[in-house]
Amino acid sequence: MLHIENLTASIGDKQILKGLDLDVGEGEVHAIMGPNGSGKSTLAHALAGRDGYEIGGVATLDGADLLSMEPEERAAAGMFLGFQYPVEIPGVNNMYFLRTALNSVRKARGDKEIGARDFLAVAKKAMALVEMKEDFLNRSVNAGFSGGEKKRNEVLQMAVLEPRLAVLDETDSGLDIDALRVIASGVNSLRSPERSVIMITHYQRLLDYIKPDFVHVLVDGRIVTSGDHTLALHLEHHGYADFVNHDLDTMSDRPLSGTAP
Amino acid sequence: MSASAIAAPAVGRPSPAQVEALSGIDRPTKRDEAWRYAPHAELARLRFGPAAQVPPAVPADVLAQIPAIDGPRIVVVNGVVDHDLSDISSLPDGVHVSSLAVAADEHPELVAAHVGQDSDQLADAFVALNIAFGADGAAILVDAGHRIEVPIHLVDIVVADTTPNAEAPNAWCSGAVIHLRDGSAATVIETRIGAGGEFSGSNTRTTITLGEGATLEHIVAQDAASTQIQLTRVEVTQQARSVLRARSFNLGAHYGRLAYDVQLAGAGAVAEMSGLYFGFGEQTLDQQITVVHDAVDCTSRQSYRGVLDDESTGVFNGGIDVRPGAGGADAEQSNDNLLLSRRAEVNTQPRLEILTDEVACKHGATVGELDETALYYMRSRGIPESDARSLLVRGFAEQVVEDVDVAALRGWIEHRLRLDRDG
Repeated sequence: MLHIENLTASIGDKQILKGLDLDVGEGEVHAIMGPNGSGKSTLAHALAGRDGYEIGGVATLDGADLLSMEPEERAAAGMFLGFQYPVEIPGVNNMYFLRTALNSVRKARGDKEIGARDFLAVAKKAMALVEMKEDFLNRSVNAGFSGGEKKRNEVLQMAVLEPRLAVLDETDSGLDIDALRVIASGVNSLRSPERSVIMITHYQRLLDYIKPDFVHVLVDGRIVTSGDHTLALHLEHHGYADFVNHDLDTMSDRPLSGTAP
Repeated sequence: MSASAIAAPAVGRPSPAQVEALSGIDRPTKRDEAWRYAPHAELARLRFGPAAQVPPAVPADVLAQIPAIDGPRIVVVNGVVDHDLSDISSLPDGVHVSSLAVAADEHPELVAAHVGQDSDQLADAFVALNIAFGADGAAILVDAGHRIEVPIHLVDIVVADTTPNAEAPNAWCSGAVIHLRDGSAATVIETRIGAGGEFSGSNTRTTITLGEGATLEHIVAQDAASTQIQLTRVEVTQQARSVLRARSFNLGAHYGRLAYDVQLAGAGAVAEMSGLYFGFGEQTLDQQITVVHDAVDCTSRQSYRGVLDDESTGVFNGGIDVRPGAGGADAEQSNDNLLLSRRAEVNTQPRLEILTDEVACKHGATVGELDETALYYMRSRGIPESDARSLLVRGFAEQVVEDVDVAALRGWIEHRLRLDRDG
């Protein structure tokens, strides 16, 4: 579904992604872990289409060239990014925002736009998924939301937009354990054979709730090793020290306890 | 001629000699701080004169622009009340509404403060012109203790002469007197619109007095043609514990000026003011706000937002004066601006004059462009860039518009700003 080959990204002279390869199959959940500054968020924004990066390499979603598209075209193609820091938009009603987003995506895909009443049903279903209260729809987008509410709003948007691929950038950061559980159960219920998920995270904690099919370690702009969920457990105990400041070309030959073949 | 040479009319209307004197006062120049950004060449082209006896016909497309607000309505066209377009036939108990001309004849004491200012206290030549030529308009009196739910709507329309000659007036004056007695409450909406085509102008002045504990919601919504000059001035005197809620919407004119001069004269009076100016093309939209704390424990809030597109210019000149002895003053002012074009301009200036201790006073101003991160966020949700931009602008403006309780007017404002798309 998602194919990334030799992806590079730089800002000015600073190269952040240095030739990243990744394939995500239909219905799979991948976790990408790595130390601060390794390029995790850059990968997320490179896929979503943020301005300001020099991008090279290949990234296709269902065969379509993501890198040549505007952010809104990527969304229409099925890409969704759950932001690490969801943006506050005072004065823009959450419900109106959600409906505009859904209808923009539907329009771009050639589907019929959805009316206010039908949309309310869609929104209510999505709200139940992340245990949001009714008044939530009438507030401004993320304005004055708590950290947990913002992250729940991201998952709610994902539920409404029904993407092919959801990249969740540190969706677990700043959450207490109850909020984490709500978010995780929301994401889990959105798992389906037609939808793939990439979770970007620092910590193993989230992976206790959303079990990934694959775990990748991103260091210095490249994926240095991959494995199943036990790789995350290894990282939890040993940190990233094994992967930092080593000759990265030899990494893949290193034996690593718990790594899937 | 200097203003102080003219004796103020005692009551009713000025004499012909006074009219001549008042209309001869020197007009402001760029050197006057309050008129610094005004288009002086165009102001000089305004020829004020007395209103016609009979109002000119209003084109249907202009009539259709009047907000459909249920309730009493007075419509002024080129400085004279159009009784056919007005409707004051059914008024709630405790409120009296008439044309200003009728009020000046029947209750000159109510109008005295409006026309009888000492000439050396006139703010500028346009106030003098308004006193000289603004004989008609509206008068509203609310009896003590009456709380009027239905909004009272005053409409000022300018219809430029399509066969202009070099002598005839191209600018007219009108006035409104609003008097709320002790403990009363009302909502007054003043709408200003006009027919385009020819250069023309309107000079309106409203005098408001609020008795003890009275509450007035005062909304000014002006959106004239881009060939027109709209000068609006509102003078307010507030007694103890009275509350003014002023909302102003300065949405269009070649030069649209909105000046509020608020005197907090009684202890515990509150002035809560907000406004939006939204310019495009080559418009200049100018807010001149002054709040004077002249009694103890008064509160004032000024919260104004501007959106400037194309080559438009926005002005916010906001004054807070705390007079000696006005302790316990609590004053805040904020002015936030959004520039949508590199050629748009905003001039924001706070004027603070604090002459007493024990004052809580805050002010702040911002000028910015659309938030790129927010645009990206919305686009990442599938919203095309142009839609995302208008949603952001709408969100910024909406925070002022949502203060308007009268739904019909709120809808009118959103429509004029094209904020109502698929809303």
